[in-house]
Amino acid sequence: MSDFSVIGKPISLIDAPSKTTGQGKYADDLYMPGMLIGKILHSPYPHALIKSIDASKAEALEGVVAVVVGSDAPNKYGILPVGHDETALAVEKVRYVGDNVACVVAVSESIAEQALELIDVEYELLPAYFDPEDAMKAESDLIHDHRPNNIEKDYHHVFGDPERGFAEADAFVEGRFIANEVTHAAMEPHATLAYFEFDPQTGNEGRLIVQSSTQVPYYLQHKLSIVLDMPMQQIRVIKPLVGGGFGGKSEIIPLEIIAAVAARKAKAPVKITYSREEVFWAHRGRPRTIIDLKTGIKKDGAITAVAAKVIQDGGAYCSYGVVTILYSGALLGALYDIPNIKYDGFRVLTNKPACGAMRGHGTVNVRFAFESQLDELATKIGMDPADVRRRNLLQPPAVTVNGLRVQSYGLPECIEKVWSASQWTQRKGKLNAGNTGPMKRGLGMACSHYVSGAANSIIRSDMPHSTVNIKIDRDGGVIIYTGASDIGQGSDTMVAQIAAEVLGCKIRRVKVIAADTDLTPIDIGSYSSRVTFMNGNATLRAAQEIKNKIASAAARKMNCAVEEVNMRDDMVWRTGKKPSSNGAHAEDILELVDAPRALSPETGESPLGTVREVSGRVEGQILRGSLQQKRKDEGPKDRMSFEEAVVTAIEVNGALSGTGSYAPPTDARGGKHKGGGVGPSPAYSYAAQVAEVEVDEETGHVSVIKMWAAHDCGRALNPVSVEGQVIGSVWMGLGQALQEEFVWKDGLLMNAGMLEYKSPSSVESPEIECFIVESVDPEGPFGAKEASEGSLAAAIPAVANAIYDAVGVRLRECPFTPERVLSAIRAKNGEKKISMTGGVDPTNPHKLREHGGAVVYKGKGPKRHEQDPSRKAAVVPGVTGD
Amino acid sequence: MKKELIELRVNGRRHELAVEPNKLLLDVLREDLGLTGSKRGCDESSCGACTIQVDGVPMLSCTMIAASYQSEHGEHEITTVEGVAERGALAAIQKAYGEWGGAQCGYCTPGFMMTVKALMERNPEPTDEEIRHALSGNLCRCTGYSQMYQAIKSAIEAEQKGMAAGR
Amino acid sequence: MLPSFQLLRPRTIEDAVSLLAKHSPEVQIVAGGTDLLPSMKQRLFSPAYLMDIRGIEGLQRVRVVPGYGVEIGALTSLSTIEDSSYIATNYQVLREAVLAVASPILRNMGTIGGNICLDTRCLWYNQSLQWRKGCGFCIKKDGDLCHVAPGGKICWAVWSSDTPAALLCLNAEIEVADAQGFRRIPLADFYTNIGDARMKLGKNELLTRVFLPESMSGYSGSYKKLRMRDSIDYPLAGVAVAIKKKGKQVQDARVAITGVNPAPWLITGADHALIGREVSEHDAMVVGELAARTAKPLTTSLLTPEYRREIIRVYTKRAVLQAFQAN
Repeated sequence: MSDFSVIGKPISLIDAPSKTTGQGKYADDLYMPGMLIGKILHSPYPHALIKSIDASKAEALEGVVAVVVGSDAPNKYGILPVGHDETALAVEKVRYVGDNVACVVAVSESIAEQALELIDVEYELLPAYFDPEDAMKAESDLIHDHRPNNIEKDYHHVFGDPERGFAEADAFVEGRFIANEVTHAAMEPHATLAYFEFDPQTGNEGRLIVQSSTQVPYYLQHKLSIVLDMPMQQIRVIKPLVGGGFGGKSEIIPLEIIAAVAARKAKAPVKITYSREEVFWAHRGRPRTIIDLKTGIKKDGAITAVAAKVIQDGGAYCSYGVVTILYSGALLGALYDIPNIKYDGFRVLTNKPACGAMRGHGTVNVRFAFESQLDELATKIGMDPADVRRRNLLQPPAVTVNGLRVQSYGLPECIEKVWSASQWTQRKGKLNAGNTGPMKRGLGMACSHYVSGAANSIIRSDMPHSTVNIKIDRDGGVIIYTGASDIGQGSDTMVAQIAAEVLGCKIRRVKVIAADTDLTPIDIGSYSSRVTFMNGNATLRAAQEIKNKIASAAARKMNCAVEEVNMRDDMVWRTGKKPSSNGAHAEDILELVDAPRALSPETGESPLGTVREVSGRVEGQILRGSLQQKRKDEGPKDRMSFEEAVVTAIEVNGALSGTGSYAPPTDARGGKHKGGGVGPSPAYSYAAQVAEVEVDEETGHVSVIKMWAAHDCGRALNPVSVEGQVIGSVWMGLGQALQEEFVWKDGLLMNAGMLEYKSPSSVESPEIECFIVESVDPEGPFGAKEASEGSLAAAIPAVANAIYDAVGVRLRECPFTPERVLSAIRAKNGEKKISMTGGVDPTNPHKLREHGGAVVYKGKGPKRHEQDPSRKAAVVPGVTGD
Repeated sequence: MKKELIELRVNGRRHELAVEPNKLLLDVLREDLGLTGSKRGCDESSCGACTIQVDGVPMLSCTMIAASYQSEHGEHEITTVEGVAERGALAAIQKAYGEWGGAQCGYCTPGFMMTVKALMERNPEPTDEEIRHALSGNLCRCTGYSQMYQAIKSAIEAEQKGMAAGR
Repeated sequence: MLPSFQLLRPRTIEDAVSLLAKHSPEVQIVAGGTDLLPSMKQRLFSPAYLMDIRGIEGLQRVRVVPGYGVEIGALTSLSTIEDSSYIATNYQVLREAVLAVASPILRNMGTIGGNICLDTRCLWYNQSLQWRKGCGFCIKKDGDLCHVAPGGKICWAVWSSDTPAALLCLNAEIEVADAQGFRRIPLADFYTNIGDARMKLGKNELLTRVFLPESMSGYSGSYKKLRMRDSIDYPLAGVAVAIKKKGKQVQDARVAITGVNPAPWLITGADHALIGREVSEHDAMVVGELAARTAKPLTTSLLTPEYRREIIRVYTKRAVLQAFQAN
């Protein structure tokens, strides 16, 4: 086993107390004197021109300070340089129900709300597109003029020779899969506080300070600079505690820009906090995806070729869409050894809230299709699904046919872990022997993987993706300045652990200052699972630089070579003179003890007072009577405390600092083909899962009894955190598998809230047994790779495959809601056909399903353009219910 | 709407406040008392992030009118997450949540603290199933709840040990 | 944010009904608030006066009335009922239905009276003001159109609380008060089956107590609830069954459904199908068929009407069997 003192050990997240006590501040907890509240007016129409906005009545309301509209900040932005299609507030037209039209800034929320009702907006309706396959046919009334056929981007990739691959196959399966739209539903609604300082030279508007619930402070700074026409260095973005992101805060959300624009116009601090409904409209979740997939296989289980056509229902703006559609294709590779791949991807614009990046970005829905189809193929060639997966493993180090470099590869071990823990061979297909009741059990397996950060950043450059500074001063404290954005995944703790491990100090010494563009060097953000790998490596390098300074000073003091200096557990010693960790030696040199500073529960007295203790808290040099002082006088020696070593090094260098950066190596940056920049990563995580489900044949209800989840994270720097991330990913995958989906009717999101969007409660959340596999990546910090996303994708097909094992139906549309499952079971049994799934067969979904209610009746109701494709096709449904 | 003078007891302290009759308890706690530990998550009594206790019973402060919870005769003793730490030290459950990964992003955590504390007081030795059901009014989006169960069990153990040591 | 209102906090029933008489119809009654307050945030209700009745003394308990049965104050929280061993022992179906309501926290707040008077729900109705502008409003609030039954003049918003189905099985009576005094009515006569005028409670009236007759004590019971998430959710379909056995045979049986019509509904004929029988799966299915025929679900919720009706069939069968097989 590894010989580490800090990493690999379960420790409390360093920010846990701020969360369990309520002390920590999230964006909405922030307050400033003179702060105003902003409220946003949203479009009631899915696609319309704005003819005029009359805000005079709103502006006249007592307490209203400003009303902001699109023309106040017309510069376009977007998270991707190729997708600058958003403005702070709608300019000229609105593109979805919920699009941002105006913002009222007032002295209170209630006045702002009242004022919203006083704004008159005149709209001219345009035809709207809700189904991407309809939208692609459109030639006029485009959602964005510069995107013909409403196609944001399409890619057509061929790797190897797919035609030959299919010709060589002994069997193939093809089919259409649909994965419905899901969203992050992070517990914290987005919130932003923005204000301007005064310029000391001119006395006018000075720097902009923005505190926001974001995963990407640096990108926010960048986009604010574009929209507000300010140099980046005049903008400071601070990330407070963030209440979960999952990708939903990994780009610039309208309120962040609107708050800044409003603060400028109102000349006062402005805070905007989204209502939960607004969070759903801001969205940026996983797009509804249509996957036409074909896979060929040989009798021995070897995959010969894969062809995928993927259409993503991207919503009204580009967002991360171009990246999403590329990931969907690129990550067909790097899990298994697939020699031939054909990929056609279409990112389509529709008049709905923009989709973006969500945990497992781009790979999840295609993985659902692929792993389901792999089981179909296994059945077809009569092979155990676990064996099919074993048969198609990569042989690392490898470069896949689409140019992805794989160095560490724990998938085989992941498969073995879950295979054996679930007693696969003994139980798969055998759980219902003699069971005549309606409750049927089944096992299903699936695998998945994910990048440890993108090898190419969104804004292409050769600059490092992460830089970290560390400072150690004479107080013996280690301060890490990192741009990494902890959004709950534990990155602050991760950098503290890495620094403490390298420096050989206790984690208690380490303080992390994170994600403040004034204080911390740039890190491009918490997305695509890049932080442990990239910021971890930068931290490692910064710590090593500082360690070298300390070690060389200590070497001089101990009269030995630098190579002979050892640092660990707050102790520094010459090789061969190691103090035993609990023995007298350690006592001699340790100034710091881990005793709590609180009053002793036994005596009620302070435990402070011993020399040992006191010297740990005060500057070493000026302390009289301390061991440090004593040792300093004694001349050469072979052991010293961390503090003593630090003081020695400071005597030479002044306050110690170290800087480390990370840029992905060029050979990990992928192929040269168009779109080849997305998918490559310095390392990939791997996951295998087995799901055990119980299907109620009479109701179609699926319960997950247990999940066995193995994840190759390279090295578990913090096992409790890794387990938490893996379990959280699997759990979120189960939500998408069974109960979460956006339900639409004519551009209206029917379930824009936590009540109707069914994020699972504790009752139906099963036990998830987690197995950590450590493949020790050659480039990861201490071998670590990603742990927070890769496991999500496998959960959905594992459940699909388990349902098949239980009741013999192949669900090709997720989530596997009880009505879909029951309808599939009914169809299989040839029982009377009950149309309980809105006319879409979940085993062969051919189209996108809409909620059954009627929006329009004989010209009444909400206005929609009569040329809406959906309108033309619509036959007003009568009273449903047979 | 005109403000009215009300008296609330929060975390053992009495507060006299002028609030609008339509003001939610959550907003009074956060805005008037600066107790921002209780969070607003859903706007519709679903998520539990705003859970507090009234006389030891967990309730949703986003669904309570502050003026209805006045303490006229010593009733309506309100406890928020800020009142959980005891004598300057984390309560066992707060420590355990940190150690076992019960809190990731932490936004739901204050609500869970209030629910779990009430559970532990009401039922000192809950079964797994009882814990699972007791937590079902609070949604968490990070943990899948698993590590919370470990944290709760460990906190119960720690409290029992602490009580044994106290004797 | 809640709309503005004057808060009324009566301490006695007399005060409450006189305030009602004075201010109705501008007054809205609130107890637990778990359903009303979110609806007020959505501007489904913007009353000039909000009357918080939780402070009324004496209505917060379960009281055994010798010779009659049980009296439950309208302000008794659902968790108080959940904790009542008397209810658990004697009125099993009610306890099961209470346990199925929302979540433990919401049961701490929600009251039995509120559950009996709960507003009907519909996906086109329980939405924010901004959202409803997008759909052009509906017949139940601010509009003249029904989205689930286009062309209809009746609101089909669906009954969405759990306990009334159980209370109907238990022949519950309710007491309502107004300035003139009290009146008692069978719960079965309380509901209208119209989504936007859901119950026969006068503008000046207040629900004060629920009575469960002693004759219904000791029935074994079962409540089954369809929901997408096993906590927090309202019922998308619900079935309550109470059965009394004599020896091995059914002596009396009552079945009620909720979540599928604008009112909770007692299934007529269920007793005939079961009385005198040692209930078989087939017998139970017959009752399931009756229930499914009574259910008239529409597209008021996320699951399809066809599915919800099917579930009424299956859950009724299961609840009947479970209640029969219990004790």
